[in-house]
Amino acid sequence: MKAFPMNRNLVSRLGSASRRRLLGSVALAAAGLVALPVAAQAPRGFATLAMVAEPQTLDPMASSADLVGTIMQHVFEPLYTFDAQWNVVPMLAESMPRISNGGRTYEIALRKGVMLHSGRELTADDVVASLQRWIEQSSRGKAVGKVVDSLKAKGPLAVEIVLKEPYAPLAAQLALPSGMAAIMAKESIAAPLKDFVGTGPYRFKERKPDQYVLLGRFDRYSARKEPANGYGGRREAAIEELRFVPVPNANTRVEGALAGQYDFADLLPVESLGRLEKAGGKTLPIMTPAFGFPYLVLNTREGVAASLPIRQAIQTALGEGEMLAAGFGDTRFFVAEGNHFPKGSPFYATAGTDQYNQRNAPKAKEAAAKAGYKGEPIRVLTSRQYDFHYNMALLMAEQLKRAGFKVELNVVDWATLVQRRNDSKLWDIYVTHSGQFPEPMLSPPQLGDGAPGWWDSPAKKAALQAFNVETDPARRGALWGRVQQVVYDEVPYVNVGKFSGLSARSPALDNYRPATWPFFWNARIK
Amino acid sequence: MLRFLASRLAGMLVVLAIVAVLVFVLTRAASGDPIAVLLGDQATAADIARVRVEYGLDKPLPVQFGYWLREVLQGNLGQSIFLQRPVTQALWERAEPTTLLSLMAVAIAALIGLPCGIASAVFRGRWIDSLFTGLAMLGASVPSFWLGLVLIQIFAVSLGWFPVSGYGAPDAPLAERLHALMLPAAVLGLLNSALIIRFTRASMLDVLGEDYVRTARSKGLGEGRVVLKHALRNALVPIVTVLGLTAALMIGGAVVTETVFGLPGVGSLVVNAVLRRDYPVIQGALLVIAAIYVLINFAIDLLYAVVDPRVKV
Repeated sequence: MKAFPMNRNLVSRLGSASRRRLLGSVALAAAGLVALPVAAQAPRGFATLAMVAEPQTLDPMASSADLVGTIMQHVFEPLYTFDAQWNVVPMLAESMPRISNGGRTYEIALRKGVMLHSGRELTADDVVASLQRWIEQSSRGKAVGKVVDSLKAKGPLAVEIVLKEPYAPLAAQLALPSGMAAIMAKESIAAPLKDFVGTGPYRFKERKPDQYVLLGRFDRYSARKEPANGYGGRREAAIEELRFVPVPNANTRVEGALAGQYDFADLLPVESLGRLEKAGGKTLPIMTPAFGFPYLVLNTREGVAASLPIRQAIQTALGEGEMLAAGFGDTRFFVAEGNHFPKGSPFYATAGTDQYNQRNAPKAKEAAAKAGYKGEPIRVLTSRQYDFHYNMALLMAEQLKRAGFKVELNVVDWATLVQRRNDSKLWDIYVTHSGQFPEPMLSPPQLGDGAPGWWDSPAKKAALQAFNVETDPARRGALWGRVQQVVYDEVPYVNVGKFSGLSARSPALDNYRPATWPFFWNARIK
Repeated sequence: MLRFLASRLAGMLVVLAIVAVLVFVLTRAASGDPIAVLLGDQATAADIARVRVEYGLDKPLPVQFGYWLREVLQGNLGQSIFLQRPVTQALWERAEPTTLLSLMAVAIAALIGLPCGIASAVFRGRWIDSLFTGLAMLGASVPSFWLGLVLIQIFAVSLGWFPVSGYGAPDAPLAERLHALMLPAAVLGLLNSALIIRFTRASMLDVLGEDYVRTARSKGLGEGRVVLKHALRNALVPIVTVLGLTAALMIGGAVVTETVFGLPGVGSLVVNAVLRRDYPVIQGALLVIAAIYVLINFAIDLLYAVVDPRVKV
């Protein structure tokens, strides 16, 4: 209690001018603290990008998470990439591969003079070592590795891949940003990856988990000559530094966008669209149509859904339109259509879509009775990690009950769901979603072997075999229709429809092009 | 004194041992697989099994516990599965925002709570008392996420005085970091001040009725001196306890507030670790938090002796 009088004495000993100065400096200090954001609005060489989470890893081969691909596609580049129409176009490769030997041999010429972040020129040895690592480590790479017979350098700037059998999705597999077939400096390759030495327009600077990932402009970047088109063409790091900030709370991302704190805010809840539109120019909403598709996986190995007629009865009972409405609310955010690929895609097909969105309870009830359904509960595994999963599951449960099915809803957190779905004893249906990818074989994993659901049938094998060995893109479109028909006939999974993504950018972020994996090369800060 | 210290230290070790066992058992009892989360959606069952072996998660639970305990006794809290770095390093990185946030919040809580509590006691039954007691009730019943969002709406979105979230830019000086902590500190401070007001009021009321206070007044001392010097000093013991425990709770992680404001503190570290089933982080962080809690309790006991000479240690 002695401190107080002493301070009072100290203040009283100051002259009145000093007292005013003291008060002034206190006021200034307070104002300074409050005025900081204003200072931050001065011309700047960075962009703050609010992402949905902390990336699991920065090794693009170690995880297939979209977030990892979104960030690291600025650092690493693939041999091929996608243009705005989802055509595969060359990136580090000079041109499209020369395919010979009945679709078994791919000769890939590399661009000359491409610089790695370490200051060395990229060679075929780097590409071979990177692809080898991708085949050994990444889950998609492993699937591709099964058809690869040999992979070797044919000179300093030429790579040859020989396949055991024709495999048409190869170029698309090499192009996808998630679980990326990233090309990295041979000497940097390690497990786990510690140095991120790629060829991209940005180089890795620093990571502080749960705070930020910093990427800085790579001054010696060798850009392609073609004009920018989707992920392809010329890339330029116009913004000096990209700051990827994890903001897991969706409301906080919305408020941050509204306050102008972020130049980009990824994946916002659809309910926030109204507020973003009324933000008075502080932030601008961005809609990415056909961003992804929710899907239900059915357990074909064990339990009630192992019976094909029961799976078909379940499909008859479902009203996907209602489910999408429950999941996404605003009609601007979803499209209820049975074609798995949107109009305009080479894989657009209507085969089997008469079995989509039937919502026919009496017919489903009859079919279930005929199939010998005796009231066993259908165990639906879902999570609230994504609100739309849960909301769709609730509605689906009602639709199934209306058709006489008994439903048991198991709501667990995401970590539990990804564990339990690997055990065929624990569930009959689980709810999940995927990005809308340009190549059917990229998603969902149920089209491959061994994914939860364990779909395996002669019809599947035949349809996919025909689809995968056909290298002519025009004929592959028609062949996809046959695969889609089998999916509708055998119901290993139900593609519920398409949903749009909502994100937001600040007016200062110029020349940003919406994309499934948002990228910020070619974007500028005004 | 030495005996007291020895017995308290032994007690602390027992508490920590119980915490270690409980935390280990509870994290493993929860379903969920850290490796499935780590590897993402496209990972095959074989990949998951391989990485489980790498992290020793395929071993029987007692063996895993043995390994962990041996490392902990050597001061090593293990390696985070998700963050790919030692748990001690992860905790150390999160300590700064959480410590600063706790200090600021406790300071705000004390600056509001002490004067209001004293005024409430001095003017017992008058409108000031009703006002402050009412505010305390309100503060105690408002959820922190709601208050956080309201303050964000007003001071960050509408007025633009503070950032909505985060801990300042990567190269931010301390002033900017403190600036980013002001709104979350205000939320925690306002909510916790409710408790301080009620404790201060109750404690002061007890003391103000004592004989020596009457004596002090009868000696002709000014009311301010009676209240602040004679009464408050004796009323401080329970208040210090509450302040200490409040600080300890916040160092353990103001989970909700850190999540709403996107602060990279200990609270968000633990929450994320639980969602990711990052066992080493959950175990290490909870053990450290328990240790801090126990230590603060110990410090409070020692502080009693300073505040109140009648308390013997």
